[in-house]
Amino acid sequence: MSKFRKKTKGKQEISTAALPDIVFMMLFFFMVSATIRTVDPKVQTQIPKAEELTKVQRKTLVHEIRVGVPIQSELGSQPKIAVDDHLINLDQIPQWVSNKRDEMPEIYQDQMIILLKADAEVEMGLVADIQEKLKAANARKILYRTLDEIDPS
Amino acid sequence: MFRSKERKETDSVNAGSMADIAFLLLIFFLVSTTIQTQKGLMLPLPAEQDPKTVPMNERNIYKIRINSNNELLVEGEPRLNLVGLKEDIKTHVLNEGRLPNYSINPKKAIISLKTNRGTNYETFINVLDEIKGAYYQIYGERVGLSAGEYRALDKDDPLQYDLYLKGKEDIPMNISIAEPDNI
Repeated sequence: MSKFRKKTKGKQEISTAALPDIVFMMLFFFMVSATIRTVDPKVQTQIPKAEELTKVQRKTLVHEIRVGVPIQSELGSQPKIAVDDHLINLDQIPQWVSNKRDEMPEIYQDQMIILLKADAEVEMGLVADIQEKLKAANARKILYRTLDEIDPS
Repeated sequence: MFRSKERKETDSVNAGSMADIAFLLLIFFLVSTTIQTQKGLMLPLPAEQDPKTVPMNERNIYKIRINSNNELLVEGEPRLNLVGLKEDIKTHVLNEGRLPNYSINPKKAIISLKTNRGTNYETFINVLDEIKGAYYQIYGERVGLSAGEYRALDKDDPLQYDLYLKGKEDIPMNISIAEPDNI
């Protein structure tokens, strides 16, 4: 009888000393892999889904153009173009592209990729106009941002 | 006797709340940050239009048109959906001059996608996805992989890069995005 009692006395609660370490590890992972949301999107973009995606290896090459209906309803319900954190006109695109290109290191300037994040409901006319402007600005690589589609087959 | 008791009480700092602090920080980072994924359909845009038009053999061009009601016209025939389009594109590209209406050889095969100004961007992306899918299937089959496996090849790894090059060798992805119609 006394033997059993001794055993129960020796049992202690599980040590949680390693818990902070685990949580800190997760914290560091998130700090490294995520970026702080800096830009104000300005327009709503519900991007379409696609299957055959390619991934960009070097993220510094990518510059984003968003197309969609403005979030602020005072700005109308027509799709607008947004870059960084402001709205621009079609005519301002070449200027924006060359500004962005100047910011890049010289060896990467010709590899610039424009990421087009357009709402699924946007009409092709506007998208084509943007492409024309990008062509004029000599930005020849375009990446249509899409979501991963879960393969039905 | 009394002194030793006191020392025993201040033996270690209680680290129990450390986890709480770390959790709080973790949750803050989860909420305030986004993991950026830059994935999508890559497409090179053509150079500024040359005023001279290059004569092109009609049979090499596989025409896909989408109108403002998002309806498809493939090689002059209306289609209700995208079923079978991938297979058709593959036959076109890999025809090697066998069937009269399809391409002469894979190098010259062109897939032309033309939209209307009123076409939905989503429909355009879906069709472009099918075209790219067809090409990736072709590339994959040449090196014994599925389309998904081919796309997942790591270009930094020399062995996989070799496979990647072997797959796309001599079959350029000629996708032409024409300027949309006004009508």
